[in-house]
Amino acid sequence: MAVQELELKPSIPSSPLQNFWQTFSKNRMGFVGLFMLIVIITLAIFAPVLAPHDIKSSAGIEIGDIYNPPNAIHWFGTDDAGKDVFSGFIYGSRVSLIVGFFAAFISIAIGGTFGIVAGFYGGRVENFLMRFTDLFLVIPDLPLIVVIVALTKPNLLNIIFVIGLLGWTTTARIVRSQTLAVKSRKFVLRAKAIGAGNRHIIMHHILPLVMPILVVNAILVISLAILSESTLSFLGLGDPTAVSWGQMLNFAFGRGAMSAGAWWALFAPGFGIVWVVLGLTLLGHGLEQVLNPRIESHHLMPSRPSFQSETVEISPKPAKGKNNAPLLLDVQNISINYVNDENIAKAVHNVSFQLHEGELIGLVGESGCGKTTLVMAITRLLPAAGEISNGHVYFSGKDLVMLTENEMADVRWSGISVIFQGAMNALNPVRTVGDQIKEAIIKHIPTYPSESLDTRVIELLDLVGIAADHKDNFPHQYSGGMRQRAMIAMALACNPQVVIADEPTTALDVMIQAQILELLDELRKKLGLAVIFVTHDLGVVAEMCDSVLVMYGGVTAEYADVDTIYNAPLHPYTQELLKAFPDLSKPEKKLTSIPGYPPKLDALPPGCRFAPRCPAVFERCTIEQPALHDSGDGHIVSCHLMENS
Amino acid sequence: MTQDIILEVKNLKKYFQSGRPGWFSNQTDFVHAVDEIDLQLIRGEVIALVGESGCGKSTLALTLMGLEKATEGQIFFNGRDITNLNDKERKAVRQKIQMVFQDPYESLNPTQTIEEIVMEPLVVHGIGANHAERRNRVNQALEDSGLKPAETYLKRFPHQLSGGQRQRVVIAGALVLEPLLLIADEPVSMLDVSIRAEIINLLAELQKSRNISVIFITHDLGTVGFFANRVAVMYLGRIVEIGSMADVLKNTQHPYSQALLSVIPVPNPRLRKKRIILQGETPNPIDLPSGCRFHPRCPMAMDECKEIDPRLMKVSQTHQAACLLLAK
Repeated sequence: MAVQELELKPSIPSSPLQNFWQTFSKNRMGFVGLFMLIVIITLAIFAPVLAPHDIKSSAGIEIGDIYNPPNAIHWFGTDDAGKDVFSGFIYGSRVSLIVGFFAAFISIAIGGTFGIVAGFYGGRVENFLMRFTDLFLVIPDLPLIVVIVALTKPNLLNIIFVIGLLGWTTTARIVRSQTLAVKSRKFVLRAKAIGAGNRHIIMHHILPLVMPILVVNAILVISLAILSESTLSFLGLGDPTAVSWGQMLNFAFGRGAMSAGAWWALFAPGFGIVWVVLGLTLLGHGLEQVLNPRIESHHLMPSRPSFQSETVEISPKPAKGKNNAPLLLDVQNISINYVNDENIAKAVHNVSFQLHEGELIGLVGESGCGKTTLVMAITRLLPAAGEISNGHVYFSGKDLVMLTENEMADVRWSGISVIFQGAMNALNPVRTVGDQIKEAIIKHIPTYPSESLDTRVIELLDLVGIAADHKDNFPHQYSGGMRQRAMIAMALACNPQVVIADEPTTALDVMIQAQILELLDELRKKLGLAVIFVTHDLGVVAEMCDSVLVMYGGVTAEYADVDTIYNAPLHPYTQELLKAFPDLSKPEKKLTSIPGYPPKLDALPPGCRFAPRCPAVFERCTIEQPALHDSGDGHIVSCHLMENS
Repeated sequence: MTQDIILEVKNLKKYFQSGRPGWFSNQTDFVHAVDEIDLQLIRGEVIALVGESGCGKSTLALTLMGLEKATEGQIFFNGRDITNLNDKERKAVRQKIQMVFQDPYESLNPTQTIEEIVMEPLVVHGIGANHAERRNRVNQALEDSGLKPAETYLKRFPHQLSGGQRQRVVIAGALVLEPLLLIADEPVSMLDVSIRAEIINLLAELQKSRNISVIFITHDLGTVGFFANRVAVMYLGRIVEIGSMADVLKNTQHPYSQALLSVIPVPNPRLRKKRIILQGETPNPIDLPSGCRFHPRCPMAMDECKEIDPRLMKVSQTHQAACLLLAK
């Protein structure tokens, strides 16, 4: 277990709260909202100090003071009673905030409890609580509030309760759906398995994960409560003893501010309401973005045209393919970086391989070794942050790296197509499978005669072993294996010469996996396809492939024909990986693991990327990255041991 | 090995209702997830439960854990019937049966620290007089699970650990209660190949040193080859073959086991072999085929297979299979 020691750089543990603050402080919208809110809260707290005039007493006010425009003494002018509007504005913030926060507190408490209890317990409890919520939801809030407040004594406490008791329905619904989502996660099952009771699970597992959404919702509820209070006061149903913005509007409106042209008497309270609600909304949006991040740059996008920035040693060329089949795809010294504002991650560095007609090459490696990045670069479908920094991909006389996006679009699908991993996600759930295959054909061959499209779809489905009557079914009506077959049909739609299969069987059962592998092998023989098979499964590679490229940490570890890789591997990584892989033909074999973990792309070791885990490591390995070494007959190994021997 | 039976399952059934009879239909369908399972587990024994998704192996695990209520049959743990228990009794039993889940990315609460996660079982069961004592146990469990020195992990969050480390945390969380039976549901299938062996080896080590019984659920027999004493192959809710590792691997009797073994890839291109690829997929467990459940896909099906539902028959002292071919 000496392994772990390597990992134990005393990293500063960053709690979720610290993480949250780090992200939030970068969110401009949220920050502005927070600032606006702090300003108004400060005004409210220090109102007696900040307000320049007393708003309660009418002492010293003369006739000439009514509806004075803004001036040096009265910054916002005066109102119908000659009182200072600015002071009213400051004191008014108190009522808005008090009502807003307390009413929202009541709403959130009721809505949160209802939502969590309904979501967690389900069944009858949920049915009862949610129908009760629906009942409240259909009651028109404002008219009811007006009626209740009019019937009861219009004081602050009553207003808070009425607004609070009627404003919880959306919270209950949102919290319930979030609870349902959290409840189905495995750690809740784990908590049950250790014997935790419902109360414990709610407090320790549900609530912390519902909290973010509750906070965002609370911000919204506060601003709604503030608006409700202003509306009530404007209608004259506010607490007559407390100055509020709504009340100021009511007075100004009812006592001739409009006809007197005293716009300031309406502007100041209106401005206050807008300021608070806007501040809360911005804060809410900001929080939502931070707590619910969707990484927008993650979609597949055509990668930027590359630039040749580095000079890299040219690797030795492996020998010709079996039976001297013609070369189809020649990947030379390709390097791919992921670039964001601060960092460059070298995801793939100087990888070369050749693919001949009818050849099946396996790209093997653990997660994060760059195998998917490499094949996505070949089709130029890297995420937006990825760029090809060096190298060439020659396919039918063209360097794919140099093509414009339009030229590349012609190559995709009719030259090189992809079978993506995770067939359920790659298929559109609301369109029939037949339609989606048709679309693939039309998109890449717009001139395809439309009357023969149906025949072609049936032909393709037949090719992958799906009966024609399943053509008009939706993906969810297909089983996992059938969906993967449909994906293959789609990849074959435009008669490509090269098919890239990116972990096509990873989520499938062994029997279905065997069916799909058999199908791929058949198709390869029938159609003369060349296949790049991306996988982490050494067993599948041994069963299927002609040649194998083993990748580690973005570089080539070893590249040779399949028999050499399994029976005479030279790179320590390949050797260790084989020892770690279970072999049913030798069930008694004790599996050995490779100590440590694969390198992170932003923290690559200076020398050989495998050096920290390598059993044969020596000094040079930690300093210098090994070059690609040809040990004869196209067997490429990147290891310093090769030069010593 | 003393014949100390830790777990005994008798005629266990778990059916799920599919489509409740409602206002518009009074038809009830049942999903036969686990059907008439008999199983015995000796103290310190490791049994691998193998089958494809939908064969009922995970439902069996959840039913044994008491996380799903058995429809019929009995489960005896340490000689005591634990099929139907009240909450308090169940809680006491849970302490002794623990589970390791498949996906270490999902089975840890992202808002808890490693210390909170591993300590939680102790808090729930009120074990340990005070925080310091519990902390000691947590440290011990983490170190036993290969997370050394434990102190450096306590304040970390799951997202700061790698997949292998997370699975070690899950194991530590199960160990801390000192269980007698550990149910591991595909504990390595989400991990990288180079990490898998170390988790299996860790489980094997802990199993030996603590004499824990393990039910290891997997779809990949190769992974547990050297670890498991016995194998049970499941198909559509039934055990179709059960025996020692050698029995099932070298003297495979049931046509389904034969097919399943033949399609597991062997990492040697020189051993490319004839695979028995079954066509179609596992039938829907609502409408079960008549007779032998495997007959529609069986390459060796005979006429009587459509009518007679075979039970487990003795092949040898340690080996049983449910196939009519055996009666011939």
